[in-house]
Amino acid sequence: MTEKIAVAVAENLINLTIDNREVSVPAGTLVVNAAKLAGIDIPVFCYHPKMEPVGMCRMCLVEIGRPAIDRASGKPLLNKDGSPQINFGPKLETGCTVPVSKGMVVRGYTEEVTEARKEVIEFLLTSHPLDCPICDKGGECPLQNLTMEHGPGQSRFIFDEKIDLAKNVPLGDLIFLDRERCIQCARCTRFQDEIVDDPVIGFSQRGRALEIITFSDPGFDSYWSGNTTDICPVGALTTTDFRFEARPWELQSHASICNHCSVGCNTTLNTRREAKSGGDEVIKRVMPRQNEQVNEIWICDKGRFAHHYTESPDRLTQPLIRKGDALEPATWDEALQLVGDKFKKSKGKFAALAGGRLTNEDFFNIQQVTAKLGGKALLDSQMAGGEMVAQVGVGQGTNLSDLRAGDVVLVIASDLEEEAPLHWLRIKQAAERGAQLIVANPRRTKLDQVAHRLIRYEYGQEAAVVHAMLDSFSPKRPDQPASVKQLLRDESVKAAAEDVQSATNLIVFYGSEGLDVAGSHTLASACANLLIATGHVGRSNNGLVAVWDKGNAQGAWDAGFATSVNLADDLAAAPNLYIVGADPVGDRPDLAETFEAAEFVVVQELFLTKTAQMADVVLPVLPYTEREGTYTNAERRVQRFYPAISPRPGARADFAIAAQIGLALGLELESKLASLAFEQLAARLPAYKDLTYGKLAETFEQWPIIGREDLYYGGTTYDNTQGLGVQPPSGAERGESPALSFEALTDPEKRKGLLAVPVTRLYDLGLTVTTSEILATHWEQPHIVLSPADAEKLGLELGAQATIKLNNMQSPVAARIDNRVPKGVVLVPRSVGLHIFGPAPIEVGA
Amino acid sequence: MNHLRDQYGKEIEDVLARYPETQKRAAVMPLLYIAQREDGYVSTQDMDDIAELLAISTTDVASIVGFYTLYHDEQAGRYRIQVCNDLPCALRGADDFLDGLCDHLGVKPGETTPDGVVTVEAVMCLAACDKAPMFQVQSYDGIAYHEVQTVKSAVKLVDGWRKEKASG
Ligand code: SF4
Ligand code: SF4
Ligand code: FES
Ligand code: FES
Repeated sequence: MTEKIAVAVAENLINLTIDNREVSVPAGTLVVNAAKLAGIDIPVFCYHPKMEPVGMCRMCLVEIGRPAIDRASGKPLLNKDGSPQINFGPKLETGCTVPVSKGMVVRGYTEEVTEARKEVIEFLLTSHPLDCPICDKGGECPLQNLTMEHGPGQSRFIFDEKIDLAKNVPLGDLIFLDRERCIQCARCTRFQDEIVDDPVIGFSQRGRALEIITFSDPGFDSYWSGNTTDICPVGALTTTDFRFEARPWELQSHASICNHCSVGCNTTLNTRREAKSGGDEVIKRVMPRQNEQVNEIWICDKGRFAHHYTESPDRLTQPLIRKGDALEPATWDEALQLVGDKFKKSKGKFAALAGGRLTNEDFFNIQQVTAKLGGKALLDSQMAGGEMVAQVGVGQGTNLSDLRAGDVVLVIASDLEEEAPLHWLRIKQAAERGAQLIVANPRRTKLDQVAHRLIRYEYGQEAAVVHAMLDSFSPKRPDQPASVKQLLRDESVKAAAEDVQSATNLIVFYGSEGLDVAGSHTLASACANLLIATGHVGRSNNGLVAVWDKGNAQGAWDAGFATSVNLADDLAAAPNLYIVGADPVGDRPDLAETFEAAEFVVVQELFLTKTAQMADVVLPVLPYTEREGTYTNAERRVQRFYPAISPRPGARADFAIAAQIGLALGLELESKLASLAFEQLAARLPAYKDLTYGKLAETFEQWPIIGREDLYYGGTTYDNTQGLGVQPPSGAERGESPALSFEALTDPEKRKGLLAVPVTRLYDLGLTVTTSEILATHWEQPHIVLSPADAEKLGLELGAQATIKLNNMQSPVAARIDNRVPKGVVLVPRSVGLHIFGPAPIEVGA
Repeated sequence: MNHLRDQYGKEIEDVLARYPETQKRAAVMPLLYIAQREDGYVSTQDMDDIAELLAISTTDVASIVGFYTLYHDEQAGRYRIQVCNDLPCALRGADDFLDGLCDHLGVKPGETTPDGVVTVEAVMCLAACDKAPMFQVQSYDGIAYHEVQTVKSAVKLVDGWRKEKASG
């Protein structure tokens, strides 16, 4: 397990001396970390503060002395001057494997240590190509830096005896390996194994012949592969995205937030001006930025590689107005004038539909416009329950890294690694630290491997599971349907209910596996009730977390948006439509009719989507990389991102456009500065009271210390200097009493044929993913997943082409067979062009 | 489809039964024996099969094959002659011995005779330094030591195998 040092932990402190400095650190701290805490550098290669020490590289050798004890009396032996006598061992010791002990004396500056470091470097370089000038790591390379500082300058090894190894080995589509540069520290293989439980790279051979191999298909097939390039202390591992693209010292850094999922990982966007882009700034790579409360020092590969859509040449840069059948370019003044006039006349017959990637400022301004027109503010999402998360979401100061024995995490209806990779990782780690993990899902998912308790239910029984848990320790409600009664007899449900009752802290994650919007709402309310009934609301490390489908869905709910249970009806009822950052027609072609019939449609978008093609006015917007804003993540943390490159001429920020439309309606909304828009928002929304851009930019000391001069220690993850964000008090913490009603449940309908259920895949066929070519082999093509029994009945072989009929649409798909899928059920991925919005009957033909 | 299980179901079950349910991965060594016994090397298909049987990654299995010098991931001769030519053996003429044997077979160290019977390899100390020249023979079903050898004695042994093969 990762050795964690809470700097503030005052109990059990050990005093020792490192390089003549008195240091006081918690028992169990390793010597290298004790030194780091005191600001003293002991160089390391194989040690990494997030992983178990292995003592493989010997770079951290130091002299370690311990107080001599008189065997007879057990008392410390003293020198003549009364100071304790210190015994130094005959050999140097590895500071990365030795925990501190009382009175220890560590010396990292003696001649012997200096000599040892020199020799270790000389060894590491025996066959190193020293091609720093063409190495992507050059400039931010621990080996380069430590060689300059500690190396011998000259090697005694014979040049001609260097062995040549392969230099451009694609381990997969995303990661290249240079075998000559590898110093065999095993950080990459240990990361894949220990941290993300995806051991798809490994060592083969030994000694000088040792090499990294992969046998996964496609190669190095892991959602986490990019992180290995950050912690590799040399240029052996590089990403396809950044390889040969720029030198680190040419790069500018801009703090940002990933908006692909609701974890809200902190990132740094590295940019550079380029001749080939006409002197414009371009994004060269996405790097993790440390936030120990959110993503620690990691990001998933989707966050790292799926950024190219922001710079797509297909982006809109000019407002368009419909003239007959065609959309024709117009000026902003014309377009805004038209939109203002039309909206003014739409009173009561208006709806806004906004996507979950917009910022809080955008949502606020759009909501103001919508309210003024008496319309509905709808969130384009597959999930509901955000109003409950606002009430009983996790409390201030929540940090999944604090969960340990005695605490309980319940994850229900989610394939967490696919839906929110970093949540999967941090819950896995919590489970490994001893927190009780209950996973409830109809089929096995990767999280099961670390779960302490598994609940299997049938699709459709999500909320029933939670009700059964509640019923098992509170007065049973007589009106419960049969499925609840049956689940009440389930041993795992009963045991889980006991876990929940005796939990010190309880966090419930609910996802969207197998659910439609209504089902999601019912599940959320059941989970909220479970938390309230057991007193796990209104404090840190307790509460409800929604595994949202987009980065800022929670922000939308906080600003007054809600997901529609029946989108087609809601849109049809309001023939004046304001669609922002959403493509309803692209997602569900059956909505085309609604849009045909609509009176006036405005679409605010990056691209000319299917919906935009049907609009009366199209307004081009800026991606988050070209503007400022804030997002609220699933843990209710409000986080700020900064512009990375200059805005593409012609496009405007969403909040600014909404404000400009608002002007025509007599609204005074901020249209220039995101910070002022946020001020207006904070003044109106109780949940964001007292928050300012200044507060969101505050940081404090984090452990481990990452991303400063000492890249050798934690890797190239960026230090967080621009804001850790703020978790404002939840409704429960503000003293609002969350009055939630119980939703009556009904049993899932008896069905004869196969049932299609929606599942989420990390790499779907959404525009944000398919614009990153390097992920191409990972894109999920249209497919279904069946149980072996059903496949056999249908005469389908693995990989066979099948035709499905689902929600009135016929589509060709590839058939996958998986024994984790229950009989009678067909998994259908969302966002790969198939017509799935919730559980639905499906016909499968060969 | 798990070829290994289909072929050696009972034997594999017996092996697996020796390990606790949570530590199945420890059975990787005996399963590799079984796989290699068939034709002297562990194919990628075998590795996939073993990975599936033990619920570990194929890469993990491949790492183990790579680490141990007596597991092979490529097909070679029916008999692998592993001649030690480390320093102590070299002092007792192992290099000359190796050259002589290779000349006779018409191969270089690391190569296999065209009839697929013999592969000659140069290896590190086999802990029989005082009995050099020496080699070990790794065949599909075991390992045997041959000590205090001459090119003549080795040729006799090797030719015997080749004749056996030629006569079917
Ligand atoms: S590739 Fe990098 S991280 Fe992996 S073992 Fe080699 S040097 Fe270490
Ligand atoms: S886990 Fe989610 S927020 Fe983090 S990098 Fe991946 S997609 Fe982005
Ligand atoms: S041995 Fe300590 S850092 Fe490698
Ligand atoms: S050196 Fe050849 S057996 Fe030891």
